Amino acid sequence: MSTIVVDNISKSFGTKKAVDGVSFNVEPGGVFGLLGPNGAGKTTSIRIILDIFKPDHGKVSIFGGAMTEAMKNRIGYLPEERGLYQEVTLEKCLVYLATLKGMNEKKSQERISEYLDQFNLSDYRKKKVKELSKGMQQKAQLITTLVHDPELIIIDEPFSALDPVNTQMVKDLLREQAKLGKTIVMSTHQMYQVEQLCDRIVLIDRGKTVLYGKLSEIREQFSGNEIILRTESPLPTQIPGINSINSENGNLIYKAHLAEGVSPQQILQYLLSQNIILKQFEISSPSLDEIFIQVVTKSGEHDA
Amino acid sequence: MLKAWLVLKYEYLRHVKQKRFIVALLSVPLFILVIMGISFLSVIFTIDNTPIGYVDNSQFLANPIMLDGKDKGVFDKPLKIIAYDSEQAAQTALDEEKIQAFFVLPADYLDTGKSKLVSKKIPDSNVTSDFRLFLRTNLLRNYDQKIAERVLEGPDVEIKAIEGGRERSSTNILGIALPIVAGILFMLAVNISGGYLLQAMVEEKENRTMEIIVTSISPTQLMVGKVIGNLSVGLTQIITWILFGALAVHFALQSFPSLEAGHIDTYFLVIMILTFLPAFVMVAAMMAAIGASSSEIKEAQQIASLFTIPIVIPFWFIGSIMANPNSPFSVFLSIFPFTAPVILPLRVALSSVPFWQITATILILVLIAIFSLWLAGRAFRLGLLRYGKRLSLMEIFQKAQV
Repeated sequence: MSTIVVDNISKSFGTKKAVDGVSFNVEPGGVFGLLGPNGAGKTTSIRIILDIFKPDHGKVSIFGGAMTEAMKNRIGYLPEERGLYQEVTLEKCLVYLATLKGMNEKKSQERISEYLDQFNLSDYRKKKVKELSKGMQQKAQLITTLVHDPELIIIDEPFSALDPVNTQMVKDLLREQAKLGKTIVMSTHQMYQVEQLCDRIVLIDRGKTVLYGKLSEIREQFSGNEIILRTESPLPTQIPGINSINSENGNLIYKAHLAEGVSPQQILQYLLSQNIILKQFEISSPSLDEIFIQVVTKSGEHDA
Repeated sequence: MLKAWLVLKYEYLRHVKQKRFIVALLSVPLFILVIMGISFLSVIFTIDNTPIGYVDNSQFLANPIMLDGKDKGVFDKPLKIIAYDSEQAAQTALDEEKIQAFFVLPADYLDTGKSKLVSKKIPDSNVTSDFRLFLRTNLLRNYDQKIAERVLEGPDVEIKAIEGGRERSSTNILGIALPIVAGILFMLAVNISGGYLLQAMVEEKENRTMEIIVTSISPTQLMVGKVIGNLSVGLTQIITWILFGALAVHFALQSFPSLEAGHIDTYFLVIMILTFLPAFVMVAAMMAAIGASSSEIKEAQQIASLFTIPIVIPFWFIGSIMANPNSPFSVFLSIFPFTAPVILPLRVALSSVPFWQITATILILVLIAIFSLWLAGRAFRLGLLRYGKRLSLMEIFQKAQV
């Protein structure tokens, strides 16, 4: 059973279509990436999944049914609009929010104190939330997301206010949660953050799904028309089957774009037949950023 | 409803534990104590306990009964009354300041009832009132003691209306003062609690905690917790003040027994509580709706202040309502939901109100209170994620789907 089934949801605000017929499934376990540029409809989709907004069309099923009050305790949510009660102490704020997720007060205090240690926030537990920096507040909010040990974790732009050290820490934390068998839905526009984390992704642009599936399969789908070559001596300028070739700084590393219908294998055979000594022959796998730009610009042309 | 309880507890403790709250809580009774202290001091310093004298030319006070003052309070001891043989003797005593004033009863006093007062300054009211009581007591001394008492104290008429069958004593001052005081307290409670509630609603928006909250708890539970939690803060404040007030009244009654403590009518109390509670929830829920639909505390406060106006209105007409508690205007004000919590108890205290009017008023209040809670929930759901944008009343009603 899929943890989340999003079935053809649409939502408009006034005349603007924020989400337009998006469908995807999130399977239990692992990290699912909800990707797209700013304003693509990621946050709106998450809000519909969490029953904060009702969709105009389509429906969402979560843990096999419609959202109920009891389900709220099984979900941890880090909203894009970060918010904690500013006028109370950090500890009080976290304990209150944890109890609202169905934890008893004593247990939540223990867990929060563990997390505060882990996040280097122990010194701030008696400080008012408003006295904390933005990054600290974000870490505190992450505690709120995880403290009740939810089965499903939905995080919207988790790295937005974090420095590299904290970004790495959060990534490790998410990996750890995924290892524990948690289902994680992570929304971000920073594709490079997702590559090492996500198993499956959906890419939304202007409210519509443009890519959906296993990250490795999507990569494969977009790879194969580019190869990376390293040689002993300079390559001939004309190689049959290669459209264009650039060397990086003239240091005998080449990036070659293949013509349509030509396989990397054919190029390899040709190079060997020419007695060219190869130090490296690699089918390049495009980064998500590259795929993203490729897909988004293509769909942009489509619209125009 | 466990989560509603958590919200309630959090909202309540958050305010009550603040220094600001404790200061506000104690400042009013402290203020009253200071005022009371000053007025008592001024009474003590202005009371002139110099005896008064009299010259009786009519001879009926030959062997007078003196006032014992056993029913009087600490500050209200009767003046000593001294008899003089002639006006000259009395005048000398007055000049020597042995007495502060003297009365002269002419020989034909019993026929005319006329007497003369001689004093250097305009005498305090207790000079004449004490002497009058002294005269009356002595005029009545040949009557049966019980008859004398009745004449001196005046009749205590119980009014019994045919319809209601409720009894009301005309001397029960407290019975009339209570609804007015209660009305003022109600207004205060609404203002204080409403203020807390507005703040709590807008804060949720300003802190952007809405999303976290609605993915943890249902809007209805949140609203119930917030409304009741913040009402309890207001009530804590009011009840503390009432306790201080009761203490003050107790003290005042000991000092001035002439105010006469009437008994507090349970029927009246029941009516008062039955109107206050739904009215309280009604106004609070409306304020919560405003808080949920506006984005800034200032804006919310401005709109909310409009709600207190109809609650104040009855106090403008209190005179005419007291004079005519069953006029159509009074009846209208006692049924109209915003003025009902002040006017209905007042009318109940003043006259006998038909049962159907009481039932109708309370029923309307309860219905509007429920409607207001529904409206607040709806405003909350709609206004949820609109930062910096106000929700119009029309939108709340129009949108079929949230």
